[in-house]
Amino acid sequence: MDGLNSNAQKGAKGMARRRIVGVVVATLVLLTLAVPMVYAEEGGEAKGGGDFLMKFGLAIGAGLGMGLAAFGGGLGQGRTAAAALEGIARNPGASDKMFVPMIIGLALIESLVLYTFIIAIFLQGKI
Amino acid sequence: MEHPFTWFSLLPFADKVPIHVFHSCLVFLMLILVAWRIRRSLRGGKDPLIPESRFSVRNIIEIVVQAILGQLHAIIGHGGEKYLPLIGGLFIFIFFCNILGVIPGFVPSTDNLNTNLAMSITVFLVYNYLGFKEHGLKYLKQFAGPVLWLAPLMFVIELLSHLFRPMSLSIRLFGNMFGDHMVLSIFSGLVPLVVPIIFMILGIVVSLIQAFVFSTLTAVYIALAVSHDH
Repeated sequence: MDGLNSNAQKGAKGMARRRIVGVVVATLVLLTLAVPMVYAEEGGEAKGGGDFLMKFGLAIGAGLGMGLAAFGGGLGQGRTAAAALEGIARNPGASDKMFVPMIIGLALIESLVLYTFIIAIFLQGKI
Repeated sequence: MEHPFTWFSLLPFADKVPIHVFHSCLVFLMLILVAWRIRRSLRGGKDPLIPESRFSVRNIIEIVVQAILGQLHAIIGHGGEKYLPLIGGLFIFIFFCNILGVIPGFVPSTDNLNTNLAMSITVFLVYNYLGFKEHGLKYLKQFAGPVLWLAPLMFVIELLSHLFRPMSLSIRLFGNMFGDHMVLSIFSGLVPLVVPIIFMILGIVVSLIQAFVFSTLTAVYIALAVSHDH
């Protein structure tokens, strides 16, 4: 009975989470699509429309990309740190042996974020 | 990248020499002075095994070299001390370069991709050379994967992953130092007092960790190339 109940709860939670993610993604897509349209309606005959679109795309790409990269990197590094801390808490004597692989793991995860950072810097330089 | 102010821009030859080359040479000069000081201390009459009594440059460097040696033995195993000149040199050079960037008006030469690519391509060539020297042509077996019929597929994947190593080494160092330096300069521009201290402490920590990561990954690559497990 308990298992069924918790399963149902989990299902409901999963549904809710999926719905929230869907709403967030839809909002982002709408925003991305809507802002240039609004601009185009306001100053449709302005010559810099295409230029604005390009700059808009560059700025959104750099900002969103950096945010997503930081999000993923934060999750990954959080898992690494949590596992290492748990290990150290269970066996404080072995903390020296865990520290070095943890630092290397953190650096390898971080480098993926840094690739995005460099791309974001390039994009930002083009605006 | 534009820096707000550097001492370098006051020099008469500022427009002829690239800024990172000048700062690398500055670090070279500093390290040569340190090495000369230690050499004089070792050669000076007394027994070189006896450490100096005061807290001196030689004692600091001996602690650092001892720590690097311990790491090498932990990663590579016996015979790890053979690679101390390369890895210890990389560690000390990168650390001094990074820490120079925390001093206002100086630029870390590691926030330019050219400096880092030079170092990481050296590492790439060295570990492949060491692998060939250790195993001969059998070194290529490391690229071929566990079973023979997978070899054509594994070879391409391993080759790509090996080619990506120097790139990821250099981009990691570049991104960290560049980002750290930029955060520091932005916050010093916003609030010139007190607040930059936090980011300077962060800069010192990042400098140490990045130098450590670069040299440790070099040691790991060398250990993978010369190991006999495969």
